[in-house]
Amino acid sequence: MIVAKRKPMAEIAEMVAPYKKVKIIGCRSCVAICLAGGEKEVKTLVSALRLKAKKEGRRQEFEGLVVERQCEKEWVKEVEDRIMDSDLVLSMACSLGAQTIGDMYPKKLVFPALNTGIFGVPEEQGVWSEKCVGCGNCIIHTTGGICPIARCAKSMLNGPCGGSSNGKCEVNLEVDCAWYAIHERLKLQNRLELIEQVSPPKDWSTSHSGGRRVYVREDARLTQYQKKGREAVR
Amino acid sequence: MKARVQVVACRCCTEMPKLLDMGRVMQAASERELVVSSMLVDRVCDGKNIKQVAAEAREREVDRALVLACQKKDVNPALLASYVKAGVNESLVEYVDLRDEVVLPHLGDPERAQAKAETKAVAGLERLLMLQPLERSTEDMRTTNVVVLGGGASGRRAAEAAAAQGAHTVIIEKSGKAYKAPGVIMPNSTLVGAKGYGGNFVLTIRAGEKTEQLECAAVVVATGGGWADLKGPLAKACKSAVTLYRLQEMLDTGAAPKGPVVIVDTPDPAGKSMAVQDFAWDDALDLAMRAKKTAPLEEVYIVFQEMRAFGLSELRYKEAAELGVRFIRYERTAGPKIDPKEPTRMTVKDLSQADVLSVSIGTLAFAAIPANRDNQGIADALRIPMSPEGGVRRGSIQRWPVSTPRPGVFVCGSAMFPKGRDMAEAEGEAAGLMAGRFAMQGVIEYGGVVAEVDQDKCSACLTCVRTCPYEAPFIGAAGKAEIRAQACQGCGMCAGVCPSKAIELRNFTDDQIAQETRTMLGGDF
Amino acid sequence: MSERRPKVVGFCCERHGLDAAVLAARSGRCYDASVRIVKVPCSGRVDQTHILQALEDGADAVFVLGCLEKNCHYDTGSIEGRKRVEYVRSTLADLGIEKERVEMFNASSTMAWKFPEIVTRMAEVAKRLGPIAKGGGDR
Repeated sequence: MIVAKRKPMAEIAEMVAPYKKVKIIGCRSCVAICLAGGEKEVKTLVSALRLKAKKEGRRQEFEGLVVERQCEKEWVKEVEDRIMDSDLVLSMACSLGAQTIGDMYPKKLVFPALNTGIFGVPEEQGVWSEKCVGCGNCIIHTTGGICPIARCAKSMLNGPCGGSSNGKCEVNLEVDCAWYAIHERLKLQNRLELIEQVSPPKDWSTSHSGGRRVYVREDARLTQYQKKGREAVR
Repeated sequence: MKARVQVVACRCCTEMPKLLDMGRVMQAASERELVVSSMLVDRVCDGKNIKQVAAEAREREVDRALVLACQKKDVNPALLASYVKAGVNESLVEYVDLRDEVVLPHLGDPERAQAKAETKAVAGLERLLMLQPLERSTEDMRTTNVVVLGGGASGRRAAEAAAAQGAHTVIIEKSGKAYKAPGVIMPNSTLVGAKGYGGNFVLTIRAGEKTEQLECAAVVVATGGGWADLKGPLAKACKSAVTLYRLQEMLDTGAAPKGPVVIVDTPDPAGKSMAVQDFAWDDALDLAMRAKKTAPLEEVYIVFQEMRAFGLSELRYKEAAELGVRFIRYERTAGPKIDPKEPTRMTVKDLSQADVLSVSIGTLAFAAIPANRDNQGIADALRIPMSPEGGVRRGSIQRWPVSTPRPGVFVCGSAMFPKGRDMAEAEGEAAGLMAGRFAMQGVIEYGGVVAEVDQDKCSACLTCVRTCPYEAPFIGAAGKAEIRAQACQGCGMCAGVCPSKAIELRNFTDDQIAQETRTMLGGDF
Repeated sequence: MSERRPKVVGFCCERHGLDAAVLAARSGRCYDASVRIVKVPCSGRVDQTHILQALEDGADAVFVLGCLEKNCHYDTGSIEGRKRVEYVRSTLADLGIEKERVEMFNASSTMAWKFPEIVTRMAEVAKRLGPIAKGGGDR
């Protein structure tokens, strides 16, 4: 899922200092799960910023609230009155949530409290590792289920490179060499012949390098007829 | 329904009347119209006073009570029982410990103590008004089965003790060996899974090729130590090496150990495959002395990194040395070595003399042995914690020496850490007794102070599931977390970690904690 | 008008934590009345919002007292409690607020000397650092 991390407190404190009425809005989805922006983190940030303001003798009003999923307009709309009442919205959702609020209320200031992030897998409680970079053309069926774009430092399609040593990557000896892992996995699956097949250079047009991507399901879209007359949220 | 509060202030024991004006304290807590009765008594533990308090509570139709006295566990339980009889929910009686938290520690500061006591009383009242009535429930235990994992010395003793309590015992035995024990023995069987909670477990047992489900009320883990698993360079080099307890068996049967006896702390001095364990020193010292007394003309050596005998056992160290047992202390980086081509000789650098000594080996015994390899699987299946050395962890050495933190699961013998037969048997008896009694209770009582999930707020992040030591939270059919009240111990860890604030611990909610804190901070003392 | 007294909040677990406080009192030890004991079933119940809220509500220093780590009544409760406290401390440090205002302690119910030691230490911190609000004064 999307994994984000709270910006350093000092940075956030500086960001919000000039604003009187600050609403801190969190989210119950991805950022709650990765412990960055759920209700508890919102309450924590509210308290922390209040203490900071107290310490520096600033009069600021902080209010915290949470929506179910901040990237969905319907849920953001539910807290419109709080947003309109703010001098600053500090979003504790991922950037998607922060931008959704900003797009819906362009006159309001919306700042991010988190740094988004990675597509991360919870390796264990509290540890999320990046295993996908959203290249848009998944090939893990040819690499034993291990993504070399995300997990190889050089994103090689035909690894390993000469820097692979004892199953570790030369860039950082703590990092596993993805291609060593791929080799071992394919061996386990009796599909080692795959590693001998040479993959052509990657077509990166499906990744972010090809420009901003929009995914569409035409059959799910509402027709004009359906959209007409509904509340102007869409 | 509006609350109807009774405030009972106790002048109590000797300190309260001297330091506090209890009348004023009671006043402070009674200045609310919701307080329909306030009573100042000399000793609330007195049966006569309890009767009066209860009678007044009944007459005034009180639904909750504030007791300003000492710790709940010190107040006569008859008070609570009388309240319950008078129709007050057990969870709606709040005790404020003025004696231990205000009077005794602030004897030299009566003014502040008075203000603090009054604040505490008000905070107690406010908390009481926020409390919810809590109910307890019972669930019948479906069986009186106690399953004992392992039919060794401690396992058999456990089965006997449990059966003596009336429980029906089932021993799950890994090997095909036969022995006498009460109840049923399932040979060639192992535990592969477990569901449920103490009182109503459903175990999955693999017996040969088949797997079957076995219901039970309690489980005793008696899987023993890794006796057959001597690993490490010294064990590899000297194939005839034995564990300390095998040496004990030899001495018990009267067989004199062959040649010089060398007891080494671990077969792996550099600690690559096994850390040095520090439990077996009492036994090692005892056995060294026995060996020396059995064959006084033969040398007995103890080769070790650190000698850690318990308490008065330290004296055995002196006794052994006086008998002529030789102690050789080594450092990890220059530990004992045995050349596999010459397994009757050990070289080791003695720390005190800095000389490399050459020791002749007749019988080599290791004090430390690895934990049973099966423990990991058992612990995973039963969701019980393990010790860093790979043993099954006991709840606490003082309070729960033969219990695991999971209610209904007990542990004994070398499954915890290797120990001698008599100790293992004593623990087996204790574990069996506790398991048997538990199983014969017939009902599981649960409820009261337990956690609860607000499913609307839950993000199904699994944090509570991973944090709880008791397997109480689980992701239910609705895809959100739920709490199994039967397993919940009321600690509130889940409530503390939940990132979406979806879990509250009844009667220790965030609001209740915050209110109490705020009121106390508002007090001027 | 005497100077403002320090305010210390102590979240004590109902098991070893509170028992240690009680034993201290019963064995004749006195301690500073500034401390406000708030009982919780387990120190693992305490989360960062409780600690920060206490500071917001006027506490100069906050401590959490739980069982000894390998001997917690609820197995891992005091380990969780410590994690929460450390999180608050690093948050405070990041904000330029003294992290010594918040601390985690562990004790067993038999350690009669421990509670007064804790209170003395935290009261001293509270007195020395004063209130978080700028310019001192109350609340």
